[in-house]
Amino acid sequence: MFVYEKKLQYPIKIKTPNAKLAKVIMSQLGGPDGELGAALRYLNQRYTMPMPELRATLTDIGTEELNHIEMIGTILYQLTKNLTVEQIKAAGFDDYFVDHTLGVYPQSASGAPFTTAYLASKGDAITDLHEDLAAEQKARTTYDNILRLADDPDVKDAIRFLREREVVHYQRFGENLRLLTDKLDERNFYAFNPEFDKACFKNKGNKK
Amino acid sequence: MTAMTKREALLKKISTYQFAALDLQLYLDTHPNDTETVEKMNSYKEMAMPLIKQYEEQFGPLTKRSEQGNNWQWIKAPWPWENEEDC
Repeated sequence: MFVYEKKLQYPIKIKTPNAKLAKVIMSQLGGPDGELGAALRYLNQRYTMPMPELRATLTDIGTEELNHIEMIGTILYQLTKNLTVEQIKAAGFDDYFVDHTLGVYPQSASGAPFTTAYLASKGDAITDLHEDLAAEQKARTTYDNILRLADDPDVKDAIRFLREREVVHYQRFGENLRLLTDKLDERNFYAFNPEFDKACFKNKGNKK
Repeated sequence: MTAMTKREALLKKISTYQFAALDLQLYLDTHPNDTETVEKMNSYKEMAMPLIKQYEEQFGPLTKRSEQGNNWQWIKAPWPWENEEDC
């Protein structure tokens, strides 16, 4: 279960509204490599994962992604708060405004609504961990691109924090993959699906 | 960063210790027998505790578990996405 803490993982206080910037940062909420997809990817993959280390990592990183959804939502809210219709038009935010007013809605920067097609849960630990490693790098690239487009220090501070977390998560998933393959038959990791073929672990007794 | 209020400064301090603990917890998921890191993680958790207590006494509950008294403080602004001046 989840318990809500009435605080952000990292503080965000934006002075200057900027609807144009909100429109690109939106991709990290509901875009192809956004935080919503990340949370759903890890929290759904974890059920069939072998090994306690992998289940713990997916649970904890998946939970941290929920914090990041909230951080991106906060950035979007603060960047679009109290905008006038003139400002909305001038920033090119009118196409978002017409459907959502100033409500926060998970979509990509180009307007495609969030879809679970952005994530995979393949039921094979090797495959899913590779997906997770790639997902962290794709999110890192997206944050790099946002940093190229943003010039507000209040926004950049929070985006830099989120970018660093992608790097740390990548590191942890790499360790997970190593822990997993160390337990498999080193002559052919791919002879088995470690989530489906129960006999694939070298020391069956160790599987908890 | 914009100047912080007393509440924001205290919350940031709490978040700093909590984040240090969380990052070590993620590391411990793949290194569960690293006792030195367990100790370090616990020490950050302990540093956050008196600050959480202080915050909740002054500004209201951070979790519903720590809600106390006979009126419902939980609904009080600001929520995490708000600034004090919005309320």
